[in-house]
Amino acid sequence: MLSQKYTKLFKFNYWFISSLLISSIVCIPLIVICSSFFGELSDYYKLLKDTYLYLYIFNTLALLFGVLILTFVFGVGSAYLVSFYRFPGSTFFTWALILSFAVPGYIYAYSLTAFFEYFGNLYSILKFLFGEGNYNDYIPRVDSLLGSIFSISFSLFVYVYIITRACFIYQSQSQIDAGKNMGFSNYKIFKTILLPSARPGIIAGLSLVAMECVSDFGTVAFFNVQSLTTAIYDSWIIFDDINTAYQLSFFLIIFIFIFIALEKKLRSRSRFNIPSRGYRTVEKIQLSGNVKWFMFALLFTLFFFSFIFPLSQMFFWIIKFPSNLNFVNLLQLILNTFQLVGFTTLILILLSFITNYGMRISESKFLNLITSFSVSGYAIPGIILAVTLLGFISYISNYLNNDSIKMLFIGTVFGLIIAYCVRFYSLAINGIKTGYDKLNKSLDDVSCLMGNSRLGTFMYVHFPFLKQNLILIAMLVSIDILKELPLTLILRPYNFETFATQAYVFASQDMLEFTAGPSLFLILFASLIILISRKKILKGF
Amino acid sequence: MKNFLEIKDLNFSVDNEQILKNITFEIQNKGDIICILGPSGIGKTTILKSIAGLRRIDSGLIFLNNKILTDYNRFVLPEDRNIALSFQDNALFPHYTVEENIEFGIKRSLFCSKNKNGPLKYSMDKLLDLFFIPEIKNKYPHEISAGQSQRVSLVRSIIHNPDLLLLDEPFANLDQHLKEKIQENLKEIIKSSNITTIVVTHDKYEAFYLGDYCGILLNKKLVQFDSPYNIHHIPVSKEIVQFFNRGVLVPAEVMSEDTLYNDELGKIKGKLMKNYLKGEKLNLLIQPEDLEHDDTSHLKFQVIDKKFRGTGFIYILKTSSNLKLPVFVNSHHEHLHAENDNFGIKTPIYIDHLVCF
Repeated sequence: MLSQKYTKLFKFNYWFISSLLISSIVCIPLIVICSSFFGELSDYYKLLKDTYLYLYIFNTLALLFGVLILTFVFGVGSAYLVSFYRFPGSTFFTWALILSFAVPGYIYAYSLTAFFEYFGNLYSILKFLFGEGNYNDYIPRVDSLLGSIFSISFSLFVYVYIITRACFIYQSQSQIDAGKNMGFSNYKIFKTILLPSARPGIIAGLSLVAMECVSDFGTVAFFNVQSLTTAIYDSWIIFDDINTAYQLSFFLIIFIFIFIALEKKLRSRSRFNIPSRGYRTVEKIQLSGNVKWFMFALLFTLFFFSFIFPLSQMFFWIIKFPSNLNFVNLLQLILNTFQLVGFTTLILILLSFITNYGMRISESKFLNLITSFSVSGYAIPGIILAVTLLGFISYISNYLNNDSIKMLFIGTVFGLIIAYCVRFYSLAINGIKTGYDKLNKSLDDVSCLMGNSRLGTFMYVHFPFLKQNLILIAMLVSIDILKELPLTLILRPYNFETFATQAYVFASQDMLEFTAGPSLFLILFASLIILISRKKILKGF
Repeated sequence: MKNFLEIKDLNFSVDNEQILKNITFEIQNKGDIICILGPSGIGKTTILKSIAGLRRIDSGLIFLNNKILTDYNRFVLPEDRNIALSFQDNALFPHYTVEENIEFGIKRSLFCSKNKNGPLKYSMDKLLDLFFIPEIKNKYPHEISAGQSQRVSLVRSIIHNPDLLLLDEPFANLDQHLKEKIQENLKEIIKSSNITTIVVTHDKYEAFYLGDYCGILLNKKLVQFDSPYNIHHIPVSKEIVQFFNRGVLVPAEVMSEDTLYNDELGKIKGKLMKNYLKGEKLNLLIQPEDLEHDDTSHLKFQVIDKKFRGTGFIYILKTSSNLKLPVFVNSHHEHLHAENDNFGIKTPIYIDHLVCF
């Protein structure tokens, strides 16, 4: 009995390392933010509170509201069409729509501006078509809040699309048949059967959108929207007032917590999960006549605006100003990105293997708890993570009067990778966990009884089975690192650029045409990765 | 210890709830087959997992092939026990084909402890033939049926040639006619390879056919461990009778050492399994095959139901005190009785084993 308890205790500590490590880093922003919110107020914050704070909150909410509506319409609408109907291009759009995942909101914003600005591309097109004229007065100005809403919606609706579609297609045909049997119209079936049962998925998608939306920095910064994220950035960079940055972060974190709570509540007991086998997929309805071309036109418009439009804008600039490419050290950018992606993926996979394996064999409730906390790192906006990590490390190194800690974490690739790991830990943990969930536990026992040690079981059973998941994790982490802006922007070493920061730097210096190079390559690389892993992504990540 | 396998006072609990209490049994000879019978959800699988070392027991001793596997201060790791367990379901590696799955049972890799028994005398192809699945070798687990994957799992466990083979409901997903053929082949394979085996099942006939010994697991305890014949004819407790659900208990009084008396049935002769005092009141177990039909008899009861069992009928007779006596009659019997008919029983009643509680 005694020896048994000792071995249990030993296992316990051993598997905790990675989750504990990540959890403690996740804790830093929360602790820092909460403690400083109830701490001493700076003058700048007092000033802000009297003047702009409510505007920031209002703008953030308005942005959120607009984006949620648009992503709901785009995401659920397109998912419905491709899941239940057959029309020209329906198979193509099924995967083509997720390409918009490759276009981050801020790059969309660049192209949107370029198109609608004074003497912009729309002007040129009109001029080309109808000759000289005073078109500028009639071209709507898409900027500020409206521009942000459109840019963010087009780049985020994929979340809703993917998860809703997964819910739709794994719905059993018998439910639909039952509806038809009771004489329901297609609309009534959609409203009373399909939509309610896809609800948990839609909510999951929308809550992802909400979190990404309030955390967005690049788009709102470019459009000069006074939102919480830009305010955090400004108070840190421009006013050098870290306390105000923390206090503003508090509001943002409150938003995030509300989303998480709301999502849990709205989903309540219903869960979005995909059966691995034994379902009967829905039979698609063949559309005919004008309706099918109408559907085609709808989805083509969505595809065009979400992907072709920003891509072609970047191509256009490159063709128009090829010499701008000389300002971009493409090789260096690729190397930098590879470096970040490679190390981050490696560390993430290692950590999440340890944790997942620990959860599998130890069945410790405490480990489960601590892991579910450590994955909440994804919910902390990149900008807050960056600012609090910086502040925390300077505080520690000042306190210890030791600069080496600062030198190790601040403005280094190492520090950046640590931050990425916290942010994308949930991606890796869940990626491996979904694999492990499909691998019945008795298989470990079988392998063990065949004489395999734990290492042997891992090598011959777990690893080969999870290989696919590892590739997917690497792909998704790559896309995210390619697109990640605020975290990279704040934590990167001096003069260390990724595609995202390079484009941002050009854009913030009003050299919009110069963004074409890094933006185009960002989109192309991300699209390539999406194309390769589209089947897995379509299953719901 | 001279026995091949010994389980002594095995206790197991989950979250302070005792699942198994003082399980004790032994297998004397290598190559014997033991069947453990019991209702679902009673902990039969737990016994197997405890023996395999996949579950840590609270206390008890497990001894196999001259080696103590578990006692109060020893615990041999499952991978070093050389025990194969064929799980009830879902136990094939989804990313390997059927062939690769079975090879996993033969393969001795770098990370593997060695199997001293050497290879089995049956080849993989031969085993697959004997289990009627020769054509699925190159398929993946998701492409085959539940019954097929159960057989693959069986083959994988057997081909490992373990010291002890544990089978958990090995035929749960098979249809009846296939089940019988496979049972025959399995018995043949196990017996000719001399593999000691423990089979867990809830099917009595399966247990009686395969087992050299049977154990009945009820209420956390192994209530009887005996040959199938004795289990059937001489159950040791009322619970076992209820579990088999095959007979009724009839009140009786002891007349002499080989005679009982019941008010409605009269004298009942036979061999009493225990010594009782004269005049003692007890309950006699009457199973369907105990009573004999006789149309000329004066002892008649009303038929209230009859069950056709292929080889025969089981008539249910009602006595005036509302007992429902089952009587087995060969189906070729010329007199078919309908419900509400009167049905004669041969007197005096003679029953080989008088089992009383």
